[in-house]
Amino acid sequence: MRDFDYLEPTTIDEASRMLADLGDECRAIAGGTALMLGMRQRMLTPTHLVSLAHLEPLCGIDFDGRRGLRIGALSRHADVANSPIVRAHYPVLASMASRVANPQVRNQGTIGGNLCYADPSTDPPGCLMALDAQVVLGSSRGERVLSIEEFLVDYYVTALEPDEMVVEIRVPPLAVGTAGVYTRFLRTAAEHRPLASVALIARRDGALCREAKIAVGASTPIPTRLRRAEAFLEGRTVTADIAAEVADIVAADIEPVSDTRGSADFRRDMVRIVARRTMAELFGLDINEGAR
Amino acid sequence: MTQHRIECTVNGEAQSVDVPARRLLSDFLRDDLHLTGTKRGCETGICGACSVLVDGEVVKSCLMLAVQVQGREITTVEGLGQGDELHPLQESFMVCGGLQCGYCTPGFLMTSCAMLKNNPDPTVDEVRHGLNGNLCRCTGYTQIVESILTAAEKMRGN
Repeated sequence: MRDFDYLEPTTIDEASRMLADLGDECRAIAGGTALMLGMRQRMLTPTHLVSLAHLEPLCGIDFDGRRGLRIGALSRHADVANSPIVRAHYPVLASMASRVANPQVRNQGTIGGNLCYADPSTDPPGCLMALDAQVVLGSSRGERVLSIEEFLVDYYVTALEPDEMVVEIRVPPLAVGTAGVYTRFLRTAAEHRPLASVALIARRDGALCREAKIAVGASTPIPTRLRRAEAFLEGRTVTADIAAEVADIVAADIEPVSDTRGSADFRRDMVRIVARRTMAELFGLDINEGAR
Repeated sequence: MTQHRIECTVNGEAQSVDVPARRLLSDFLRDDLHLTGTKRGCETGICGACSVLVDGEVVKSCLMLAVQVQGREITTVEGLGQGDELHPLQESFMVCGGLQCGYCTPGFLMTSCAMLKNNPDPTVDEVRHGLNGNLCRCTGYTQIVESILTAAEKMRGN
């Protein structure tokens, strides 16, 4: 790993000015799990690292019934998974966070760093997208709030300006009767990076789906919201047949990536299966996977 | 390139060492403090041989910089037992044959130590999931899981 200077600003303003002054030569570091790999492999060779570890506004997790959930960008995956607040109000988010990578990475990697890295093969972005989460960006110029869709631009590309950092993630409150399920497919049980994931957030009365939000992650360059499938689900009584139809729409409406980990066709097939499993779990259906 | 004085506690002992910013925690422990129980394996965050505890939580020391442990408390495999007395996990890995070549063992010990602290009575499935950041290429994991369950039982006082 190349030599670098390590800077430790204590305010967003100071950090933002450092990032702006140093430009492409520097990188912000939160947990550092992904950054260290990039630097060790010399894919990234910054001359300066700006540590965000001492920025108070990036810390903590809190909840307000009206505004919803606020997750400070420095919250580690383990913090999200173990937070009594997250577990009580957004169990799907806690469950997702408890599955990210492996125990060691969950104790070091942060949710803000995860979003900024914009790695397609990871868990948080898709789940946050289905929850209609927003990303709050801070800089010496002030604050702006983007939806996850606006924040994630492409494969490893975000809408972050050079002087900006993620301050917090906001998740709106869930309406009464809302449940969520996050399901993923790993090629082996020990793998750390999902090949396909589906997050479903639905407001329902028994089997009747009143409102649905579906996002596919890990198989497309950035997670994809499935509006056509959501519209199809809304107002329907969800049976195994309906779940299968929705899964077909989900699989048809994505543009999967094709790489050494899986071809586009394979990913599309796995997304269909994961989508069906997700609906079966949320609506308590028995599905026969051998039938289709 | 910036130098940093790292003041931290390692296995209960206060340390103060000057290191360059790019020093990895794994290299800090092995090369600066000569605590070579922590192994460098893949050095790409996959194998978990370099696992140590930072403030009681398991992390991979090849993915962390020494500057990130400023003021924090680190436990390595050298700090697991009490003098000549082995930790119940070390004992059970020996008794159950939870190792062959032994290179991955310090990492497995540290990971399972943190695991049992959070969950003193894990199921087989929980143990297996808890180990998914550690690789062993000798044992096939069966005896490692047995070792951990045996230690867990002993530590619960049964």
